[in-house]
Amino acid sequence: MVGLEIHVELATRSKMFTRVGSPACDEFDGAAPNTLIDPVVLGLPGALPVMNKAAVEMSMLVGLAMGCSIAPFTKWDRKSYYYPDLPKAYQISQYDLPLCFDGAFDLPLEDGSTKRIGIIRAHLEEDAGKLLHELPGGRKADFSIVDYNRAGTPLLEIVTAPDFGSADELVAFARTLRNVCRFLGVTEGVMKKGHMRFEPNINLVLTLDDGHEVKTPIVEIKNLNSFKALKGAVEYEQKHQAARWEEDGKVMGPGSKTTRGWNDAENKTFVQREKEDAHDYRYFPDPDLAPVVVDEAWVAEVRSRLPELPHERSARYQDECGLSAKESLALTEERDVCYFFEDISEAAIEAGAPTSAAWKQAANMVLQSGAKRANERGVLTNELGITATQVAGIIALRLGDEIGSSAADELFGMLCESDADAKTEAERHNLLQVRDEGAMQAWVDAALADPANAKVVEDLRGGKMSAIGRLIGAVMKASGGQADAKLIQAKIKETLGV
Amino acid sequence: MGYIGGMSTPCGTLVEIRDAIRSGAMSSVDAVRGCLERIEALDGTVCAFTQVFAEKAIADAGAIDARIAAEGAERVGALAGVPVALKDNICLDWGKTTCCSRILEEYESPYTATAAQRLIDAGAVIVGKTNLDEFAMGSSTEHSCFGPSRNPWDTERAPGGSSGGSAAAVAAGMVPLALGSDTGGSIRQPAALCGIVGVKPTYGRISRWGLVAFASSLDQIGPMTRTVEDAGLALDVLCGEDPLDSTSARVEVPAFTDRLRDPIEGLRIGVPAQARSEQNDPDVARVFEETVERLRTMGAEIVDIDLPHMGAGIAAYYIVAPAEASSNLARFDGIRYGRRAEIDQGEDLETLYSRSRAEGFGGEVRRRIMLGTYVLSSGYYDAYYNTALKARRLIKGDFDAVFSADASGAGVHAVLLPSTPTPAFRIGEKIDDPLALYLEDIYTVTANLAGIPGVSVPAGFAEVEGKRLPVGVQLLCPAFGEVNMLRIAAGLADSSALETMPAG
Repeated sequence: MVGLEIHVELATRSKMFTRVGSPACDEFDGAAPNTLIDPVVLGLPGALPVMNKAAVEMSMLVGLAMGCSIAPFTKWDRKSYYYPDLPKAYQISQYDLPLCFDGAFDLPLEDGSTKRIGIIRAHLEEDAGKLLHELPGGRKADFSIVDYNRAGTPLLEIVTAPDFGSADELVAFARTLRNVCRFLGVTEGVMKKGHMRFEPNINLVLTLDDGHEVKTPIVEIKNLNSFKALKGAVEYEQKHQAARWEEDGKVMGPGSKTTRGWNDAENKTFVQREKEDAHDYRYFPDPDLAPVVVDEAWVAEVRSRLPELPHERSARYQDECGLSAKESLALTEERDVCYFFEDISEAAIEAGAPTSAAWKQAANMVLQSGAKRANERGVLTNELGITATQVAGIIALRLGDEIGSSAADELFGMLCESDADAKTEAERHNLLQVRDEGAMQAWVDAALADPANAKVVEDLRGGKMSAIGRLIGAVMKASGGQADAKLIQAKIKETLGV
Repeated sequence: MGYIGGMSTPCGTLVEIRDAIRSGAMSSVDAVRGCLERIEALDGTVCAFTQVFAEKAIADAGAIDARIAAEGAERVGALAGVPVALKDNICLDWGKTTCCSRILEEYESPYTATAAQRLIDAGAVIVGKTNLDEFAMGSSTEHSCFGPSRNPWDTERAPGGSSGGSAAAVAAGMVPLALGSDTGGSIRQPAALCGIVGVKPTYGRISRWGLVAFASSLDQIGPMTRTVEDAGLALDVLCGEDPLDSTSARVEVPAFTDRLRDPIEGLRIGVPAQARSEQNDPDVARVFEETVERLRTMGAEIVDIDLPHMGAGIAAYYIVAPAEASSNLARFDGIRYGRRAEIDQGEDLETLYSRSRAEGFGGEVRRRIMLGTYVLSSGYYDAYYNTALKARRLIKGDFDAVFSADASGAGVHAVLLPSTPTPAFRIGEKIDDPLALYLEDIYTVTANLAGIPGVSVPAGFAEVEGKRLPVGVQLLCPAFGEVNMLRIAAGLADSSALETMPAG
């Protein structure tokens, strides 16, 4: 049995309870330590929290996307504990009345089926600061350093039901959730920046030889911030919990839950804290903040802002646009790339391309010419410098048989550096296919007459058609790449009379 | 030290000083110097101030005088040039904000509280900060790390608390206005014991931004003055919604001074059976009955009412307030600011926390933190905290019932109570008996629990051991009913025509 808690740092411009900039927002990403602070963040005497409505609405968006109900009445509670990264010695959170609850999400699986994952709750809270125990550069220190930039960042904690059957399902859900959040615009979802952190809860139901079932104690693994770590940690626990039970005989029950961490280098979990239940957080309603009343009109307004989600788009690409499941998934992996793809398709259709051809060509352009260059440069396809209109221009040339596939790819590369439209750029670089009969005949005649090709010509005349590629290449070379390969082949055959 | 021309007392009332400055009869620098001289002369005995910003106050006053000369006093603001003081749990971005606690002894706030800023924006000059019971926990100002303040009417006696420094400063004529904060009576009780006017406004009337929190759902800043009119003038400046405090109320702010002279004839004033407790000092009981008669004489209708859950007030208060305090004061851990204890090599973080807090907090604060931590602990939460919240709702329900008209008749406009069960007590008299000190708040805590406004006005004197000690009465009104409250209070003050300052 595996359940998952996910922490999502919401990319609001200001923090959860004050106006100072939030590091989860692009604009303040990478700010120098302890610069995103103010009296509220530092918990200075006399400072008071004021709720950030945008964070509440972002949480509602995620909740609605996960099929949750939105609480008509919720409130803020103080969760008390001492730690140097927690400025007020309490965290403002939501205890018994989470903003979102009782959801279900149909996770698309690779085989085309879906698996329903229950969402128990999603509540909003503030993040803590960061405590460092060594100096920058890894030098040892006999003191600790604290950076409060992250303190007070809005954090959405989503808790799933223990519905996952395997580590792969868990990772698929985590990836899908990240993607959904990106489409919702609530986070950039950059794992290494800690925009999302995962905490799986795992235990095993062992069936003994005598038919008895035994449940092993629940293990919570804290703060996993990569999909690889998530998968590794869950698989490690699945492998080792049975052995642990055989050793100590401990079963699930009150006080048996333990907290473990993940060692990325050694690929194993390690004990952090026994007996999770020993903590008393002394939750009580925060008297500095009014309860939040969410009426139906507010929910409806937020719901109207829900965009078409990636899994919904993927299904539409397959059903209506004739794309494969693999292509559709790839196109919906990144929100901005997906929007870019849709912009290209629309521009191509607007320019007169038949619908299904436009989608297909746009998919090819994005997934091949685009993905290749984006990978090389470490950017997203939509960030290459080429516009959707320019790509639609290439598609129009392709569909009009005015340009070959390799020239189209070359043109894509050129347009990444140019503001010209596709046709102008293609003409400037002589990329358009030559259909001039006379020129074609001259290149073919020259190739056939070339002594270096004598053997090939002989083979062809002898009916060995597989040799024709070499002649086509020679003609193409002579044409400077502008000739259409199909036409060359036809012309060679015609000239030789084979 | 002579009286300044036209002033009823050495320092003048807020209105008198404002008018003198407006008319050009006095400069702001003169007014500030007058206050500083009075502080210099008396505060060695009274110990009302924890800090006096003499140089800065004179410089600020000079700047205000220049603005008055250029723009006219009325454009500068409603309190142009007037000297005022703040309780030392209200943040200023200069000086120190100590809360009279060792843990914040050297603490300098980087920002200014909204209430203080409103005074500054109205042209007031802040001359200093006043003494309080540590973190406003106490009823005598004895629980201050700087030592107790003394009651100007009898310096052997406490001025009350926790805003005892503010009360003493105003009563001794050092400033015409001092801000206090009231969580369970901390403005009204010392106002009563020092013979001045103290207003605890409706919860949410005045921003709490920059007031160091004791119990967030109960704390409210308010003015302490010698006249009701002065309190109204201060409220005009202080009240209003603040985007930095989400518990500040989005309600229209009336002109509090406009209707002070309206007759109170026909107003219904409720006198609860619980006001006439046998625990009351005989002088307190006498002054209370005299006040009832005066109100009747002025044409008010006196209505017998019942506040059946008032008896639960102290118990509920001493659960809710410590619970919130235990959480609000958790941030004083020695990590980011404030006093940090020394720890030895090998001692851990927990030692740093507990030692810093043990060294930094006084006994009363530690007692309340422990109480509050206990009542919020799992297993005890329902029995204590939730039960206290239920009592709080019942107490609020009592007031709702008497204020609103129902089948049995029309509701009352105000409730009259004693401010305190006794006049000022001797310093040291109750220090070893926390419960006795807690009972000082018996008539005041209910207003905080219900969120309604209350005012204490001087109503008479007690004769104790040959000394005249002031006795106050308290008026409580429905939420945001300060206009009526001040109108009745002004009527009472006029009718009693008491001296508001001790002689000499």
